[in-house]
Amino acid sequence: MLKEEVSRYYSDIMEKEPDVSASIAAISTLLKLLEHDKSETVQELDLNLQSAVEVITNTSFRVTGVSSGCALFMRFITFAKLDNITFADCKKVMLDRGKVFLKKLTEARNKVAKITLPFFVDGINILTHSKSRVVLEAMKLAVNSQKRFHVYVSESAPDKSGIEMYNCLKKLSIPCTLILDSAVGYIMERVDMVMVGAECVVESGGIINKIGSCTMAICAKELKKPFYVLTESYKFSRMYPLNQKDLPNNFKYTANNLNDDNLLNAHPSVDYTHPSYISLLFTDLGILMPSAVSDELIKLYL
Amino acid sequence: MLDIIDEPHEMLLDNYISNIKRKKWENNYTIAEETVKLFRHFIDTIKWSTTKELLNQLRDYGMKITSALPLQFIVGNIVRRILNIIREEYIDARKNTEEEIDLQDSLHKIVSSEDDIDDYNTIVPELKLSIFEHLDEFQVEIESSNEDIAKQALEHIHSNEIILTVGKSSEVEMFLKKAAKDRTFEVFVTECAPLNHGRQLALNLSKHKIQSTLIPDSTMFGIMSRVNKVIIGVDSVMANGGLRTFNGCHAVSLAAAHYSVPVIVLAPMYKLSSRYLCSYNQDAFNEFVSPDGVLNYSDSVVSKVDVYNPTYDYVPPENVTLFISNNGGHSPSYVYRLLSEIYHPLDYDLSIH
Repeated sequence: MLKEEVSRYYSDIMEKEPDVSASIAAISTLLKLLEHDKSETVQELDLNLQSAVEVITNTSFRVTGVSSGCALFMRFITFAKLDNITFADCKKVMLDRGKVFLKKLTEARNKVAKITLPFFVDGINILTHSKSRVVLEAMKLAVNSQKRFHVYVSESAPDKSGIEMYNCLKKLSIPCTLILDSAVGYIMERVDMVMVGAECVVESGGIINKIGSCTMAICAKELKKPFYVLTESYKFSRMYPLNQKDLPNNFKYTANNLNDDNLLNAHPSVDYTHPSYISLLFTDLGILMPSAVSDELIKLYL
Repeated sequence: MLDIIDEPHEMLLDNYISNIKRKKWENNYTIAEETVKLFRHFIDTIKWSTTKELLNQLRDYGMKITSALPLQFIVGNIVRRILNIIREEYIDARKNTEEEIDLQDSLHKIVSSEDDIDDYNTIVPELKLSIFEHLDEFQVEIESSNEDIAKQALEHIHSNEIILTVGKSSEVEMFLKKAAKDRTFEVFVTECAPLNHGRQLALNLSKHKIQSTLIPDSTMFGIMSRVNKVIIGVDSVMANGGLRTFNGCHAVSLAAAHYSVPVIVLAPMYKLSSRYLCSYNQDAFNEFVSPDGVLNYSDSVVSKVDVYNPTYDYVPPENVTLFISNNGGHSPSYVYRLLSEIYHPLDYDLSIH
C-alpha cells in the first residue's frame, strides 16, 4: 500500500463514517495495510507501519485520538510476533487476532453505555460539552430504557460541535437545551452532574478533550457537582502532561495552523483536564477512578 | 442458633430474612456469617451439573435475597464473593497451573486478543469439594477479620494521642483495646444520637482502663482541634471509596478535614460493596427508622410534627484518609483495585445471565 492510499483510506473513514472515532479509524487503516503488506521480515513490517502512522498523523484531521490507537496497534503487533517462528505464520496470526482485536474495540462503546445506565437517576439534569459519541450512546440507551432526564449542551466553539450534539439529542427526542460556552458557570447550579467524553486519557487519569472541558471541570468542582468522563479504554495513552503547555502542538493545532510561524494567534482545539477535577471514568473495563488509568497502562506496556 | 441440617431450605431462608428484617442480627458480622452459612446450605441442596448452572442458580437466589433485603449491602457482597470463589475454583481446576489467573478485563487482554471466553460449561469433578474448602477459608476470614484489623492497631495509635470515634462499632472497640495493651492514649467518644450507642462504647473502654470521655455530638467541632486521629467504623464501603456509615460521620469527617486531622476507617473486606451512590435520592441507600429515639411517643407533640430518623450518612471519598481492612491499609483511590480482586465484573449486576 502506498502512502497516498493509506492517507485516502484513513480520510475516507473519517469523512464517511461519523460514528467511528479517530483511534478506530487509524487502527482499521493499519490493519488494512497489514493485509496488503508484502514485507518479508518483521523489521520491514515495522518500518512500513511506522511510516503509515506518520502519514495518518499528518492528515488534516485532529490527531489527538490517533496516537493512542496507533500505539495500541504497535503493541498488538509486538505481542503477536513474539509467539511464532516463521514470518508467514506470524502474519496469519496477526490478521486473525486483528479481527478479534477490532471487534473488541468496537464493542467498547456499548459496554460503557451499559455501566453508565444506573447513574441516570430519575429527573436528573446533565451538562455535557461538545459532541461525544460515547455520551450520545449512553444517553440513547438511557432514553430507550425509559429514563427521564434533561441535557444541557454547551455550544462548544469554534467548530460548534455542541450544536451537532444538540441536534442528535433532539432526534432521539431527549429533552435538551443548547447553552453558550460562556454560560457554563451560570448553568452549573442547575445541573446534577457533568458528563463528557474524551479524545484521549493520559497516564495521570486526566483527559485531553475539546477545548472548554477544563473550564467545565473546574466549575463543577467548585460547585461540588460530580464530573464524569465516558471513554473507551483504547483512548488511554502514555503521556503525562503536567499543564496545558505540555500538550504536543499537533494535538492543539491542525496541520494547517502548525505551518504558521506565530502559534500565539491560533486557537488551541483541545485542553487538558487535571485528574483531581474528575470524579470517575466510565470505561469498557469498568468504572475506574482516575488513578486506575496508570495501572492499566503499566500492565500493558511493561 | 439455627439447626441447618434438619430444616428444609425454604424455612431456613424465611428465618434468615425475618431475622435480619426484625434486626435480631444487628451486627454486620453476624449477617455476613449467616449469609455464608445459608449459601453453603443452598449449594449443598440444589442439583447442578455444570458450573454455569450453579452460577445461574446462585445468581437467581442472590437476586431473590438482595431484593428482599435491599438495604443490606453486606448480603450482596457475600453473594458476589461466593460467585467469585466458584469462578476461581472452576478456572483453577480447568487450567491446572500454579500461575495466578486474572479474571479482570484489562487493556492488556484486549490488545493480546486472548480468547478468554470460557462458558463455564465443562464438567469439573470434585468442584464441589474445592468450593466448600474455599468457603471454609472464607468463613475463617470473616471470623478473624476484626482480630486481623486490631493487629494493626499499634501501627496507627501512638502514645499520648487523642483519638475521636463516633458511636459504637465492634471493629473500633477491638482496635482500641488492642492498642491499649501497649500504649496509653485518650479517647473521645461522641454519643451518636438518637441511638446513643456511643455511651456503651465509652463504658466498655473505661472498664478496660482506657481513658475515655463521652461528648455530645454537637461539641465534636470544638474538640476536633485537639484530636490527633479520627477512627471510625463503617456500614459499607462504596465502590468509589465513599462510606455509608452511621449518621453524624459526615459532619465529623468535615470537621476533621477542616483541622487536617486524618480519618481512619476500619472496614473488613466483606464490607466492600460494588455499588455507587448515584444520587442522594437513590432508592435503597438510606433507611428511615422509627422516630422513637428523636421524640418520645408519649409526647403530645408527636402527632403534630414530622420526624425523620435516617440511619446512614454518606461520606465522600475525599474525606477519608485511610482504610484499614483485614488485608492491610489502603487509600480510598485503591478501592477499585480491591474490588476487582474480590468480585467478578459479570456479577456486579445479578439480574443478567
